[in-house]
Amino acid sequence: MQAFEYAGPSTVEDALKALSGAKSSEALSGGTDLISRMKDYVTSPDRVVYLKGVKTLAGITAGPDGLTLGAGTKLADLIADKTVAEKYPALRQATLEVGTPQIRNMATVGGNLLQRPRCWYYRSGFGLLGMKDGKSLVRTGDNRYHSIFLTEGDALFANPSSLATPLVALGATATIVGDKGERTIPVEALYQVPKTAEDRELTIAPGELLSKITIPNPKGKNASYEARQKQAHDWPLVLCSVSIDGVGEINDSKIVIYGVAPVPWRSEAAEAAIKGHVLDAASASAAAEAAVKDAKPLSMNAYKVGLTKTVVKRALLAAIGNRYWEEA
Amino acid sequence: MASWPENPRLIGKNIARLDGMAKASGKAKYPSDMRPEKMLFGVMLYSPHAHAKIKSIDTAAAEKMPGVAALVVIAKEGATLRFQGDDIAAVAAETEEQARDAVRAIKVDYEILPHAVTEAQATAPDAPKVMPRGNTQPGRAQVTGKPEDALKGADAVIEGEYSAPVITHVCLEPHGLTARWDKEDAITAWASTQAVQATAGELAGKFSIPQTNVTVLTPVMGGGFGSKFGADIWGLTAAELSQKAGGRPVKMFLDRVQEHLAAGNRPSVIGKVKLGGNKDGTLVGLIAETSGTGGTRGGSNFPFPYVYTVKDLSRKHTEIFVNGGGARAMRAPGHPQACIVMESAMDDLADKLGIDPLEMRLKNLPKDFRTKIYNEQVPIGAKLIGWENRKPRGENGKGPIKRGYGMALHQWGGGGTNDKQVACTISPDGSVEVKTATQDIGTGARTILAIIAAEILGLEVKDITSNIGNSTFPPGQPSGGSTTTPSMAPPCFNAVSKARDELFVRLGKAINEAPADLELKEGKVLVKGQPAMDWKEACRKLGMMPVSVTAGAAEGLASGGVGGCQFADVSVDVETGVVKINKIVAVQDSGLILDMLTWKSQVYGGVIGGLNYGLFEERVMDPGSGVMLNPDMELYKLAGLSDIPEIIVHAHDTPEMRARGVIGIGEPPTIGTAAAIGNAVTNAVGVRVNKFPMSPMNVLNALASASKEGKA
Amino acid sequence: MTENDPKRPRSGHSRRDFLRGSGLAAATAVLTGPATAALDEAQAAQEGPKVLAGEVPVTLKVNGQEMTCQAEPRSTLLDTLRHRLDVTGPKRVCDRGSCGACTVIMDGETVYSCTTLAVSAQGSEIQTIESFDTGEKGVPHAFHQCDGLMCGYCTPGFVTACKNLLDKNPNPTVEEARRGLDGNICRCGTYIGVLEAALAAAKAMKGA
Repeated sequence: MQAFEYAGPSTVEDALKALSGAKSSEALSGGTDLISRMKDYVTSPDRVVYLKGVKTLAGITAGPDGLTLGAGTKLADLIADKTVAEKYPALRQATLEVGTPQIRNMATVGGNLLQRPRCWYYRSGFGLLGMKDGKSLVRTGDNRYHSIFLTEGDALFANPSSLATPLVALGATATIVGDKGERTIPVEALYQVPKTAEDRELTIAPGELLSKITIPNPKGKNASYEARQKQAHDWPLVLCSVSIDGVGEINDSKIVIYGVAPVPWRSEAAEAAIKGHVLDAASASAAAEAAVKDAKPLSMNAYKVGLTKTVVKRALLAAIGNRYWEEA
Repeated sequence: MASWPENPRLIGKNIARLDGMAKASGKAKYPSDMRPEKMLFGVMLYSPHAHAKIKSIDTAAAEKMPGVAALVVIAKEGATLRFQGDDIAAVAAETEEQARDAVRAIKVDYEILPHAVTEAQATAPDAPKVMPRGNTQPGRAQVTGKPEDALKGADAVIEGEYSAPVITHVCLEPHGLTARWDKEDAITAWASTQAVQATAGELAGKFSIPQTNVTVLTPVMGGGFGSKFGADIWGLTAAELSQKAGGRPVKMFLDRVQEHLAAGNRPSVIGKVKLGGNKDGTLVGLIAETSGTGGTRGGSNFPFPYVYTVKDLSRKHTEIFVNGGGARAMRAPGHPQACIVMESAMDDLADKLGIDPLEMRLKNLPKDFRTKIYNEQVPIGAKLIGWENRKPRGENGKGPIKRGYGMALHQWGGGGTNDKQVACTISPDGSVEVKTATQDIGTGARTILAIIAAEILGLEVKDITSNIGNSTFPPGQPSGGSTTTPSMAPPCFNAVSKARDELFVRLGKAINEAPADLELKEGKVLVKGQPAMDWKEACRKLGMMPVSVTAGAAEGLASGGVGGCQFADVSVDVETGVVKINKIVAVQDSGLILDMLTWKSQVYGGVIGGLNYGLFEERVMDPGSGVMLNPDMELYKLAGLSDIPEIIVHAHDTPEMRARGVIGIGEPPTIGTAAAIGNAVTNAVGVRVNKFPMSPMNVLNALASASKEGKA
Repeated sequence: MTENDPKRPRSGHSRRDFLRGSGLAAATAVLTGPATAALDEAQAAQEGPKVLAGEVPVTLKVNGQEMTCQAEPRSTLLDTLRHRLDVTGPKRVCDRGSCGACTVIMDGETVYSCTTLAVSAQGSEIQTIESFDTGEKGVPHAFHQCDGLMCGYCTPGFVTACKNLLDKNPNPTVEEARRGLDGNICRCGTYIGVLEAALAAAKAMKGA
């Protein structure tokens, strides 16, 4: 870890000032991602601004129009929240499976959303695109954990945020503050597909802070399902969150998949396939088929295509309480 | 011939380890916890490249960095670095942060050479040369009989390819030591090692000082698994830095990345096997071509065929060199790989013959002392796992969750040496010390010595001071190969028995009784069977002079050679490839068990190590850049508590086994687990999953390729 | 190591981005160790919060006791405890927040001290294994009796996680105990003893 200056502001205003006062700066919250990245010299900011002293950034507030999560809300608090448990099982389930008890005690909503990719080429110092001498190491290398969509481009990593998946499915928005004021965008708009090694995958601008997430009241049912190798601490191989507009024929749904693209992957194909159908095993399977129809896996991750199909199907069925895979 | 007591009071019981409370309360000071006065922090600079030549190295800027006290260059100009993690230089500074900054300020100009980091890369026709002598070292085929003919005449022949990747030791306490020059020809080192005396010897040799002036201390240490048998370049460098810094202690423990890269690994295995058998399950022929890589160091060969007897066979092993850290012994070196290849082939053949793989195994047992052991153990294990519920391959239900059962047999030596010594001192105040220069790597070695002493002296285990982990003590066994207990228990028994005998002689004189009439029981001295005085009172009669005996091994107390079998019950989700283990059964003999509690812990630990090998572990090397992609403890996956199934350990602890004396237990229980899991997964999903670990990727890929071939 | 530094700035923000019309161009007051006292108060008020750099005094409340040492902003809580304060119960193993050996309790919650900065931990109540009850009703005793340890290097982390789990949930089910201890890794394979110890400790604490 390179030496850095450190500021521990207690107001958003001071935090913004502190972030802008150095050549390069990073906001530090739970630290579970940033500290490790700094130790590996993947990120070496001149300044670190610690946000946990900014108390207004944390907290969960339920209102008539939905739920607001402060960006500094710890994952453990999110899991313990009653409203989240009652209304947003997709979010709770995905959060419950993040990291470990210690990580959930440290990590925050904002930190989870804005963590950098886990791509092992990125973490080994080969940049966001995993390039060496102008060639992609990922494409010819070990890409078992990489994307199966948008693989024509150079960004082959998978978006790492387990929370983004349900939040996009639930239609949540993100509020960002900067020295020019506040703006609110859909959670999916936090992310972009980098085209060059200089691009970032996060859209948040230098000097800005993510302050809160607002989730509208759920319209119908929502659920998440994930598959991973280990049952203890592990990253999902694929995670899917769905939100559907109630019982009977589905008019409106959101089906979002983690682990398959450099952004939270909203599967419009799956949504179209299920539209007008009553959700059951057959329609869920059809939606799952549609979800992977255009997948273009890399050299080692064709297994993710079938896996994604299963995970989408199970997330949909979980929403209506059909957990057929748990039957003996 | 000496013999163990027939009706022991302590031996074989559940006895909590002597240093357990110190460890469980955080008070035990590990070598890496030591901070002797004026200590400096050492940090290594290691190669970021898989293969490179050092064109130049400039340390001027680094030496001027704040806090830097000493710098050592290991790989000088012109040196070739053969793997990522290869040592280049080291710095000692006032703080660790400063030392890290300083190694990054060392300017190295590399000539980057082409690399081969995977077996496929190293064996490609146009592969760059990894080692001057070439990338492979093909062994000569070992042929017995006429295997080709035998296979032609077999009722069924299977042809399989089974593989497992390189895995690393991941000792939780990193490799390293803290070294301090006490005077110009004397060193004290606090080392995380499996061999205090070998470490002392290396330090003495490096600096040409008398070994007697080197004290290596390892009161406790955080795991070795076969990878910590000496000072290593890192320890020697720490001492060199200390010397340069005027004797100030230098602490040098590797970071986790270099641990993975350079501190040892278990070689990979690729086994191509043709195995033939007759309808009754008798093996008739085997042709095996195996290979593996131990990085730049070799050592991938293993015993084969494994456990079973095949009359006509041919076996050839090819060593592959890659630009990766060198292999080191890792818990039962060679055996887990051998077991995976052999036991997978056994199951595949049984499936093809349509017979119960358990029966087929019993039909082909070796004709030696292990035959009886296996014949006794296998039915016990089968019953404990519920083998009767096993269905033939692929007949495991219609839903996505398939249940499967698998098993594997293994073997190990586990005998000790007979040249080690233990000193036993009984002091006039009644305190008792046993001491020897062995070390406890987590096995319970310290406690074992105390149990033996307490048993013989009629005392409690806590009454004994068991001093180990000091290189200046009487010669003790390095902790490896499951040899520690069988090497140390006999001299301990002998030394304590002799000390007791001397106590009897001197006490007899003092109280006018014949030594032969004296006995020790429950903290008391008995005269002609009657309690006469308590232990402390008796010891007071020694006057000023303690009893002190140093002794070597007595004959007849230890032996070697064990069997063992393991069974796995798994559920595999064929839609996700996720494997869940329901239960593992381990039936294990190891002669006379001295402490049932720590013995069981060893078996659980072995099984869990095997579970990691079976399900999770894999060193992932990037062919393009030559670096290891998962040098961490996150994407290098190791089981957590939620991954641990029910584990049933059955000690094969019969009078006959006990009569064999002490045999080591560290390695055997880790051998068969992965193979049994692989067989259970295969039984569940209906097709052979031939690549370890049993990850969703490997399971789904096996299912997909079988489906392409129309097999599933 | 050095070569792992990507050539381009990967994150953080370029100077140009910041200085563009923001009135914040003037360097924020920086507190360096020796120069701590030299802070220009007026400038600090204008520029926002205090900024620390270099070696600075760090005061930690560990097991109820205030401990002070010099550390850098980048010094982790773990390294500060181990290297500067001789609190060596927490161990450094993965050093990347995955293995749990460094677990401490901060303001009542378990955290990985290897991914916590010491400067950020100031003002928090830090509890380490050294402060736990070593009597028969304590967690360490249960680990000892159930042999929930072998080499013992992961043990302080497990014991700490277990203590906190039981403080919050005195009657864990087997499943809850497993999940509660999933943030820790043991290489010797002592999990069976660890689980037994967690359940035994729960029982012993009830008898308190």
